[in-house]
Amino acid sequence: MTRLDPAALDRDGALEEARAKLTRTQLLGAGLTATGALLALPRRAWAAQLSKTDTDVLNYALSLEYLQAAFYTESERSKAITGKAGQAARTVGAVERAHVDAFLGLLGKKAIKRPRFDFQGVTEDKRAFLKTAVAFEDLAVAAYKGQAIRIESPAVVSAALGIHTVEARHAAWMRHLNGIQPAANAFDEPDSKQEVLKLVADTGFVVAAPRMKAKRKPGYTG
Amino acid sequence: MCGGALAALAGSAVAVPMLVEAQGSDDRGVLELLLLIERTEAAFYSAALEAGILDGELREFAQVVRGHESEHLAVVEGALGSDLPAEPTFDFADSLADADAFARAAAQLEDAAVGAYNGQAGNVSKKVFAVAARIVSVEARHAAWVRSIEDRDPAPDATDKPMTEQQVRDSLRELGVTA
Repeated sequence: MTRLDPAALDRDGALEEARAKLTRTQLLGAGLTATGALLALPRRAWAAQLSKTDTDVLNYALSLEYLQAAFYTESERSKAITGKAGQAARTVGAVERAHVDAFLGLLGKKAIKRPRFDFQGVTEDKRAFLKTAVAFEDLAVAAYKGQAIRIESPAVVSAALGIHTVEARHAAWMRHLNGIQPAANAFDEPDSKQEVLKLVADTGFVVAAPRMKAKRKPGYTG
Repeated sequence: MCGGALAALAGSAVAVPMLVEAQGSDDRGVLELLLLIERTEAAFYSAALEAGILDGELREFAQVVRGHESEHLAVVEGALGSDLPAEPTFDFADSLADADAFARAAAQLEDAAVGAYNGQAGNVSKKVFAVAARIVSVEARHAAWVRSIEDRDPAPDATDKPMTEQQVRDSLRELGVTA
């Protein structure tokens, strides 16, 4: 029986070496070991090797990570999300930002640009924050699950699966904070890209064009 | 506002995956490891509930999770069909000494499940992969849930590291499993 060892996916040892190096130098703070290792991979080498499908999947994942990272970062800055929810926003936000960095590192120049977001006040109210966080995390779990099977590169599959289960941990955490059952079913269902993108679009959180609301009053023109 | 869309996001379908059939030697070998995990989990939560050491949230957690694990077990057994490996033996005396010991052991067990499923994903057919993917995130939810109850960090890492079969077996042995 040929059994593939996870370590064997990392054929040239780059992942493991990067991981060890990062661990040694304590660069990680909030336990960003594996993502840090991905991040430390030679970027150009990765982007050049990616198939069209993998590039597509990674950019889709990046779009969801952009959304999550922006949401938690804005929640953190609003200072309205306090207590355990605030602690969760800080910790999860740091992880989602690390996921963004990891995908940017993998995609190199093929990465899509960060869109603009308008969270319509949900980052300034604890109840709305938790409800949105639960929705985002459950969605991320379903989205990664929907894509993992499409990915062609074994190393990218491994990375995506490692992130997939962290999103599930976040989902359970946010659900617990929100007083709803962290694991509602024995099986989590995948969602298609089309379904996920429609749900994201329906939130209105992603604004394609720059916001028209001026940040400063226009100068007096008399 | 976005209430309707959010409600739609939060809605979760309830569907039991179709039973899969092992398609090759890799599938069978991996499924036997997953069987060991699911058998351990099912036995562990049953023993925990019988031990009378749990109340409140931890008890509710154990009840819900026991149900999930027995569903997972049925799927993995179904995939393996007949000729299942011999049952392992369990000694959960240390893991179930008290509620704290239970919570720590449950977190370790769920982490081992996550590490095992993630670690074996590259060794199976797409059919088994698809079902395993539906299970592994639930194991991760369990791992975070029990830590949330205990006020420990539910998601300590940015990614979950895959575990080798040996690492999984070592972790189970620590928890009182002899396979």
